[in-house]
Amino acid sequence: MTKDKTFTLITEAVREILPELADRDLSESDTLDALGANSMDRAEIVMTVLEEMDLDIPLVETHGPQNLGELAQHLSDTAAAKAR
Amino acid sequence: MSRVGIEAMNVFGGTAVLDVMQLARHRDLDLARLNNLLMKEKTVALPFEDPVTFGANAARPLLDRMSDEEKGRIELLITCTESGFDFSKSASTYLHDQLGLSRNVRMFELKQACYAGTAGLQMACNFILANTSPGAKALVIATDISRYILEDGADVAAQDWAYAEPSGGAGAVALLVSDTPHVFQLDVGASGTYGYEVMDTCRPAPDSEAGDVDLSLMSYLDCCEQAYRAYAAKVEGADYRDTFQYLAFHTPFGGMVKGAHRTMMRKVAKAKGAEIAADFERRVLPGLGYCGRVGNIMGATVFLSLASTICNGAYPDPRRVGLFSYGSGCCSEFYSGVVTPDGASRLRGMGVEDHLDARYRLSLDEYDQLLRESAFVRVGTRDTVVNQDFADRTAPGTAGASPRLVLRAIKEFHREYAWID
Repeated sequence: MTKDKTFTLITEAVREILPELADRDLSESDTLDALGANSMDRAEIVMTVLEEMDLDIPLVETHGPQNLGELAQHLSDTAAAKAR
Repeated sequence: MSRVGIEAMNVFGGTAVLDVMQLARHRDLDLARLNNLLMKEKTVALPFEDPVTFGANAARPLLDRMSDEEKGRIELLITCTESGFDFSKSASTYLHDQLGLSRNVRMFELKQACYAGTAGLQMACNFILANTSPGAKALVIATDISRYILEDGADVAAQDWAYAEPSGGAGAVALLVSDTPHVFQLDVGASGTYGYEVMDTCRPAPDSEAGDVDLSLMSYLDCCEQAYRAYAAKVEGADYRDTFQYLAFHTPFGGMVKGAHRTMMRKVAKAKGAEIAADFERRVLPGLGYCGRVGNIMGATVFLSLASTICNGAYPDPRRVGLFSYGSGCCSEFYSGVVTPDGASRLRGMGVEDHLDARYRLSLDEYDQLLRESAFVRVGTRDTVVNQDFADRTAPGTAGASPRLVLRAIKEFHREYAWID
């Protein structure tokens, strides 16, 4: 899955978990923390994206990216590595 | 012989307590975010309280209900803690002395972050099951404290632990383990473990905690699923939705458990929104009550949740409780056992709720004063006379309450305690 497509999945998950952001534009430099997601929201957003990507990896392997763009890149790379 | 488990248990949730909402306003924290923690109060360890006093105060009421002969059958004493204050001498040695146990006891201290209590319970159960000393009993004491020592000039709200402060508690749970498991009969062999190396939270130096909240939560959620899957692989017919009438979780704060339960119900039980919410109220919420009144007590938390599940649940007939224990670093386990109507009534007889109600309510001024005056005894202290200012204020108001243990002094590193009424 491309980074752009993964980023779209992330923005959809963010709006599902945080409905108050429905009308806000999300950019790659946004961070979940600054968007108002608490630690449980953050984990649920990532879980939702993993499900949509059909990517079965431990959550701890998604830890590290600092913003939405980095998260999209990381998940996209992980999916590609797993498919190989 | 396969009957084993908890014969008797007791909770000690401290002598002083702080209202979490008041603390949050005082610290200028986001109240909506705080509500998600599902915390009402947190126990605050006073200067004369340490892991030994908490542990002894949890265990004493159990021993006071036993005959000398029964006490003499306690042949194993395990103290489970991540708040130890000596790298060699175990807290069990002090507890053994203060509780007046037989000298023919195997004793040691056990560490694996918040998983320590479960590790202790399982080791004790295996000792009983091995039948190497028929009729023997084991005493497992899980005891932990969190302390927030303000460094000079620290800006509290800006600190990483701003949201950890309201949930960090202090307390202990004592378990008498034997082949007459009146309170909780372990399902022998029904257990799934899951562990691997991860640097989520730890205590790398005396009197300090370090960690990554996100990583720890993710590891907790991974383990919650994987430990249960390991359980289900061993236990024929296990079903997350139907096998357990109650679920007790390691509870750093209630909101985390709510999220973990939601995830499990969605992923493992394939349930949806409204059903998940109803299931949470029915099976999980009873176990969060005491946790929301004491705070996270690390190794003892899963038993605090078990006690809450037993005292606040309904037991018209035997009910199975599933437990999830997680300790950073990490090791986790999902296991189960059965609580009977008699067991529930025995534990309610310990008066845990009354004890929690009777704790002294600290004002914010008193709390801040405690943090700032460095009255606390730091790990490694060689000689000191311990500040007893709060001892009178926090004396139990109820007649017939058990005596409590306090730390009086340290001389040449040796801790000196006293029982007071």
